[in-house]
Amino acid sequence: MHSDFRRTISDERQLVYDAEHGAVDRMWPTTIGDAISATTVPASGATTSALDSASSIVSAYFARLLSVLEDHAEQLSREIIFQGREGLTATRIDDLVEPHANELLDYASEPIYGAGFIATVDLLADAPSHLAWWQGADRRKLVFPPRSVKQGIDYRELEWFRIPSLTGNSHVAGPYVDYLCSDEYTMTAAAPVLVDGNFVGVAGLDVLIETIERRLTPPLRALGFPVLLVNGVNRVLVSTDPRLSPGDVLRHQPVLDRRRCDAVDLEIVVLH
Amino acid sequence: MFLPIGDAGRAELVERRIAEAIMGGHLRAGDRLPSEADLAHTMGVAPVTVREALLGLRSRGLVVTRRGRNGGSFVSAEADPLVFAREALVASSRFAIRDLGVHYAALTMAGTRLAARRAALSEVAAIRIRLAKLDTAVGQKPGASELSAWRQTMDDLQLELVALSQSARLTRDQMRLQAEFSPLLRLIDVDAGTRSRHRELFGSVLDAVEAGDEDAAGAATERLVGDAIDALDALRLQADDF
Repeated sequence: MHSDFRRTISDERQLVYDAEHGAVDRMWPTTIGDAISATTVPASGATTSALDSASSIVSAYFARLLSVLEDHAEQLSREIIFQGREGLTATRIDDLVEPHANELLDYASEPIYGAGFIATVDLLADAPSHLAWWQGADRRKLVFPPRSVKQGIDYRELEWFRIPSLTGNSHVAGPYVDYLCSDEYTMTAAAPVLVDGNFVGVAGLDVLIETIERRLTPPLRALGFPVLLVNGVNRVLVSTDPRLSPGDVLRHQPVLDRRRCDAVDLEIVVLH
Repeated sequence: MFLPIGDAGRAELVERRIAEAIMGGHLRAGDRLPSEADLAHTMGVAPVTVREALLGLRSRGLVVTRRGRNGGSFVSAEADPLVFAREALVASSRFAIRDLGVHYAALTMAGTRLAARRAALSEVAAIRIRLAKLDTAVGQKPGASELSAWRQTMDDLQLELVALSQSARLTRDQMRLQAEFSPLLRLIDVDAGTRSRHRELFGSVLDAVEAGDEDAAGAATERLVGDAIDALDALRLQADDF
């Protein structure tokens, strides 16, 4: 991927986000709210426009997070190239990653719970696999005791590592109970780090479901329709429908309509 | 009650944490411990607290310290998780073992019941694939390290299944209780019949979760934990015969 191209995408995402947030703060309660209060039975046109609005709110939210993360992934990739891939050690990678992790954790717009880089299995000279990860209020570096349950986990199988490694694209994984890192109910955004076209690991950040709920519930509530935000396996991230809560999975509930989000593999669902 | 807590008692906490890792087989004979500074940093205590904890571990024979260029603190060559587990079992009353079983069963049942409601089929399938790999990984006469790997995989799969409940609290409690229960399970893992029975019982928990059948998932989990507790209780009774 060419960096200028990426820059353009990032800027566009930023603009979309800013536009949406202006809209969230000022427009939804008036225009959409009035449209809905005018009729007690939701007309299908109103459902459609609420779904579109919900989808752009969610897309903008994740697009902004991903663009920040992708910028760091790209910088990190340049630093690894500058440093030289040969003889790269765990300590050296930690030194390269830590400033990026700190910057992500400093991200003002949204509380980020954890951030860092996870190396592919054969990247480092002195370790078969490595997580350079900082998390929590005190930004503690993650260290696993050897042979603990956590140490034994093959993260190549985990969604946030597997999908960027296979597709070469960023991915937002979860929600899931992240017993590897945070021990919290989390979404993980991950961007591939490429060196000379080869995948060398993912740059990632964790956002707690609680954080996302706090951010997305008010604008989604303001749509006036109960909606669900679900992931690829129909698991609920955020819900303004009292019948389902975060963590529940859509199974037999009758779906009225659904809409994909642009920047991220998530969907908005409205139930009957 | 309003007295400052301070660093007193923290050394014991650090000591207990490391001792548990050694006794549970997560740190093994000959493994090098991180440096005092690294331990202090990652565990969020003062270096002097780590030093005190290491002193305690040395006096209990769990850790040895070597000087020189390749020096540092190492897990003692005699550290054998099975020996520690047997000591822990004999030191426990039958009541305590049964009670641990009741607690572990209640928690795990709650987790798997919820998983039956909330797991995606692909997630259950991923656990099943790892369970199937475990079938071939254990031969007829496994050595200590194969048995250890077997236990670790079983623990990991059980934790993964409970995590599918989507409950962070249940998953954290499962990790804590598993750290207590798992070292004892190594004592019954040595029996091939027990291993194959437990693999089969865990398979039926997965079947129920996959079918979305909460009641069956709870019942199968109860059978699995119950079987382990019965075996441990039998071992505990035998220990009194010597």
